[in-house]
Amino acid sequence: MDADGLNDALGLSNDKSQNLVGLEIWRDIFGLRANKSFQGAYIYQPSEHGRSAGERPWKRRRVSSTAGRDEQVNGQRFVPLLNGDENAESVQLRYDTYRELWSKQEHKIQDILEDVDAGVLTDVLSFVRDTSPHTCDGCIPTALVTVGSNVSSLSRLLARLNGQLISTEEGSVVVLESGDAPNLKTTLKNIIRATITNTDGNYGYQKFLTDRAGPRLLGYDLDLLHDYVQRKGTKKLVLALRDSEAFDPGLLTDLLSLFKSWLDRIPFTVLLGISTSVELFEGRLPRSCVALLQGKHFEVQEAGNCVDRIYETLQTDSDTNLWLGRNVTSTLFENTSDYFQSPEAFSRMVKYAYMSHFFANPLAVLLAKPDSTVLARNKLCEAIRNLPSFRMFCEDLVEEGSIKQVRDMLEDDEYLIQETPKYLNANQQRMRNMFQAVRVVHICLQYTQSAKKAKVSDLSVRALSGELSESTIVEEMVATTKTLDSDKLDELLVRLGGIITNPEADAIQEDLRTLLETCPESRPLRSGYNINSTVTKTTVVQQRIRLSKGQADLSEQAVEYTNIVDRLVALLQMHLTESLVNPQDLFLHEALLFDLRNPLKETFAPRPRFAIERALSTPFDYLLSSSDVTMAKVSAKQPATAILYQLYLDSGALVNVHDLWQAFYGVFETEEAGGCDDRVIMSLFYGALSELKAFGVIKNSRKKTDHLAKSAWMGL
Amino acid sequence: MPQIALATNLAYKIGNKPTGPPMLSKEVASSLSTQWPCRNVQIRQLPHVPSPAILVVHGISATCKSTILRAVLATLEVPHAIVRSSECITGRHLLMKILWNTLEALGQKEEWETSGKGRCEHVSGLAVLLEECLAARPVDNQGKFVLVLDEIDRQREAPHTLLSALARLGEIIPSLCVVLVLSSTPRPLFLQSAAVPHVSFPPYTRKEAIHIILSSDAPVLDGLPDETSSRVYPYFVSTVYDSLIGPTAGSIPDFRSICDNLWPRFVAPIVNGESPPGGNTEWDFSRLLVKNRAIFRHQGESALVHRIVPDETPDSAKRTPRAKTAMPSALPSLPYFSTLILTSAYLASHTPQRLDTIFFSKFSSSSLSARNKRAHHRRRLKVLSQAQAEERQAANDDPSTPNKKGKRTKTRITKSTLSSAFATSSATTSAIGGGAGIAGPSTILTARPFPLERLLAIYHAIDPNPPATPLRVAAVADRIYAELATLRRLRLVVPAASHNAMATSSGNTTADAGDKWCVNVSGDWIGELAKGIGVEVGEWLAGGLD
Repeated sequence: MDADGLNDALGLSNDKSQNLVGLEIWRDIFGLRANKSFQGAYIYQPSEHGRSAGERPWKRRRVSSTAGRDEQVNGQRFVPLLNGDENAESVQLRYDTYRELWSKQEHKIQDILEDVDAGVLTDVLSFVRDTSPHTCDGCIPTALVTVGSNVSSLSRLLARLNGQLISTEEGSVVVLESGDAPNLKTTLKNIIRATITNTDGNYGYQKFLTDRAGPRLLGYDLDLLHDYVQRKGTKKLVLALRDSEAFDPGLLTDLLSLFKSWLDRIPFTVLLGISTSVELFEGRLPRSCVALLQGKHFEVQEAGNCVDRIYETLQTDSDTNLWLGRNVTSTLFENTSDYFQSPEAFSRMVKYAYMSHFFANPLAVLLAKPDSTVLARNKLCEAIRNLPSFRMFCEDLVEEGSIKQVRDMLEDDEYLIQETPKYLNANQQRMRNMFQAVRVVHICLQYTQSAKKAKVSDLSVRALSGELSESTIVEEMVATTKTLDSDKLDELLVRLGGIITNPEADAIQEDLRTLLETCPESRPLRSGYNINSTVTKTTVVQQRIRLSKGQADLSEQAVEYTNIVDRLVALLQMHLTESLVNPQDLFLHEALLFDLRNPLKETFAPRPRFAIERALSTPFDYLLSSSDVTMAKVSAKQPATAILYQLYLDSGALVNVHDLWQAFYGVFETEEAGGCDDRVIMSLFYGALSELKAFGVIKNSRKKTDHLAKSAWMGL
Repeated sequence: MPQIALATNLAYKIGNKPTGPPMLSKEVASSLSTQWPCRNVQIRQLPHVPSPAILVVHGISATCKSTILRAVLATLEVPHAIVRSSECITGRHLLMKILWNTLEALGQKEEWETSGKGRCEHVSGLAVLLEECLAARPVDNQGKFVLVLDEIDRQREAPHTLLSALARLGEIIPSLCVVLVLSSTPRPLFLQSAAVPHVSFPPYTRKEAIHIILSSDAPVLDGLPDETSSRVYPYFVSTVYDSLIGPTAGSIPDFRSICDNLWPRFVAPIVNGESPPGGNTEWDFSRLLVKNRAIFRHQGESALVHRIVPDETPDSAKRTPRAKTAMPSALPSLPYFSTLILTSAYLASHTPQRLDTIFFSKFSSSSLSARNKRAHHRRRLKVLSQAQAEERQAANDDPSTPNKKGKRTKTRITKSTLSSAFATSSATTSAIGGGAGIAGPSTILTARPFPLERLLAIYHAIDPNPPATPLRVAAVADRIYAELATLRRLRLVVPAASHNAMATSSGNTTADAGDKWCVNVSGDWIGELAKGIGVEVGEWLAGGLD
């Protein structure tokens, strides 16, 4: 067979291009971003770690040498931007700033997650401590933990429970997943091994097996566990099934009945993680299995609340330097509401956003507050001058009349570099104020909105697009604030006091206090705007009834109180209009706001099926065509699999193989006049067919022996 | 003996184990039967000296088999070893346990290395090793050794010759007596040897059960005079037996726990000082019973059904109906996208494939709108289904007309693809459901497997917010796979193969495009969920609305 001729016919001049196809597909699948957009295809070079491909991998990790290499790699993690002209220091600065910024945020996220779990943790812990088979009528004590869609929270909870139990030497937690439990023997083996390695490590497990008097026991013998429990003096051995629904009910029954019979010797407590509901779970188990269990039900907070809290902390904290824009925010929350997503996955997405900002935006170096000497000045200045926000800023300056400043900024690099950090700081402060205002609105809404509570995320999206100050939410909020009675207003003021740092706010609070102290008996006071304070008068004029509204007579305190409310509302309105700016109008918002929807969306929603379908149906989207002529849809120059796939797309649900072969042959016949070899084409056909089978798009039909059944449709 | 004290079916043990010099067989029997009443015959039948080589003890659970056996052995002070078969995972494990427990009972634990290094792969090996151990005993202590194999019929992974092989052990080794405890009734000659003595432990009769419960006093309650208690309690116990225990074949521990639970509530009127009705000064049993009928109906039933999370205290349960408090936890919510996928999976499972074009195709050739057409077909299906149900009912009542024939005529009458599709589907339903008639609108068809591509297609058909640009559609299929994986993990949607045979693929996570899937939850819940995202399941389902 003429290999070269064949390759030519297929338009694959060398195997390099074949590599490229694969890689382009990978790029689509994993959403890898290209940094040089003109390239059509890329060559994937695996990171070599100083070894050539032919060598065998190390069996043991070499600790000393890898540490050195890691440092080296660290420095080169980011590539120079500004067309490659960025100097090494700025690159390093960007990287370091990213690390610093993210580690701070990560700590905050961790704290929130721990705080969220704390309640359930104490409940579960006290349940584990207080219950024993005696308190459960001889059944196995069982804690049912429903986690809802917040799937990851359970592992956090279990890890902390384990830590607590080990530190007090009461026992430990063994986590079992459905994958660990294919059959009873393996499950028991896994349980025993996990229990012992949990406290003693892997070495301890081996030692435990060998260093015991008497014969070596089988790995699944619960006598081992009994021995261990006696040696350690374990009081509680918690066995946690992370995804209880996924366990085979028969196996679960076997396992639990075994535990039940050992319960007098090994102090088991079972913890079942349930994602749907207790009723559904119970309904799936056989009655005999349910009869073995008794216990309590715990609920973990929904993921949504947790994510909201994380977002609020990340954005509104006073030491935040980089913010997520409205596109990113809405993408993030769309994901949370539409898909199963854990808080960890949420924080990973935020991390990716931060990373992208520092990786691809040369202006991010400004966030490091660098020394002006470090920077590659002229390029950076050029970049700043090309910003849309710079243009707007200059226009504003010109309107204000400070033309000299504009000229300096445009011409003098030194001046621009000096001035930029100042503006950056000021604008960061304005962003912080904006988010404080969002919090103010959020707090006020908690007092004024009765039914539907607006979330911080919704408010933030509005604020980030500059719409919040004019929105109906705020208008309604102000209107309702006016009608609050003095008790609620007092609470509200206390909560606002931490956020609005304005002497006027303190004064209002002070005045309210004194007012309330002077007349403790008439609480709660109502303002003149309250519905109780207006009176409807009915008069009959010319045989018609006329309704007229009038102010009821207010007591002296009420008048004074109305004054205070007026002052507060004025303060609120002033505060909100002042701080709720449109971030897009701020100079240098490109540096302090990350608002690109795309890398985030693409990276976290890979499209393998789409990529494969596209590669097969239009292979020249990925491959470089060898001829410049735009060809017909199906041509012999395409890879055989692609040709066959396109023919397959034209067919119905059942395809006769002979017809398919005829069509396939026809493609080659028309293009290669006379010179085509039946046998070569036949082998191509078979190769392509088996590849399609491997993709799972065709299978043998049971109805007709010489037909193939279609099992995948394009574009679903 | 802590094991005896903790054994669960021991709830009716009364006194402590008597200590003292070994008694004669008759005295042993009488002393034991005061502890465990109503088991005289069995106690006398259990191992005498000289005991047989093999003995079978059988009876259903909670008939006091192991307990009495243990007690007899302990009282007679015969050297013995007890192996609980339910704790042995494999046959090999059982053999090792037997060997190890025997060594322990004989006090030869230190010499395990001489006896096969604690390993025993086969019953024949066990016979040799046991013989060696028993022969190694000191000369003055060469009496019978009893080996009790508890619940041996429940042994996992037991080779089918295991039982008869174990039975031979006693014949091979003269000083060994093997006792097999079975919880099922043995087949004749199941050990393949004749003249094996059997001791049967029948379930307790009504009289015996009541006697056992009454042999301990009524639970003591503050404010209840002893005299009243002793007068009313026997009637109460027999009422409980007749109403709750007898009909459900409950065991003695169940009986006891129900009595303990219900007794305080039953006599609550006396304790609370309520005055009896009808001007009487004293509460008697019949008045209490009339007053507390509800207890036996509601609480009695719930006492029989075990829940993992026990219900709240009776007071709070009375005040708030349980349905209300349970509802929010009964309906977990899923994210939007997953709900939609689950709904499509449900529809794919419950719609015959032939009707797909009618129900889900957006290209309608008729002048009617697609929705009207669907409604029309739904109504026809409904009528058809009712007619067929009635007909099947009639066919069941009248055995002379064969069921199949009636169905065929029905098909001939309608003569449309629709009815034939329905005929096939109803045939499968009746095959599975046993022809019990049609229960509700959504149960016309049992959940049937569907290929993944069909799920995707139906998803696109029912999507309430179809994407504006068709470009985004491609990404949806890929996202569906990810969500489907989570749904599979929650066992809401399962691969069809594992739906039928769960054991085969619990760890397997691969999925092929051609593989079939099946929905695994009830329709009501999915209907509720789907309503939440704006999809009306009934609108798409055969016979769903109306």
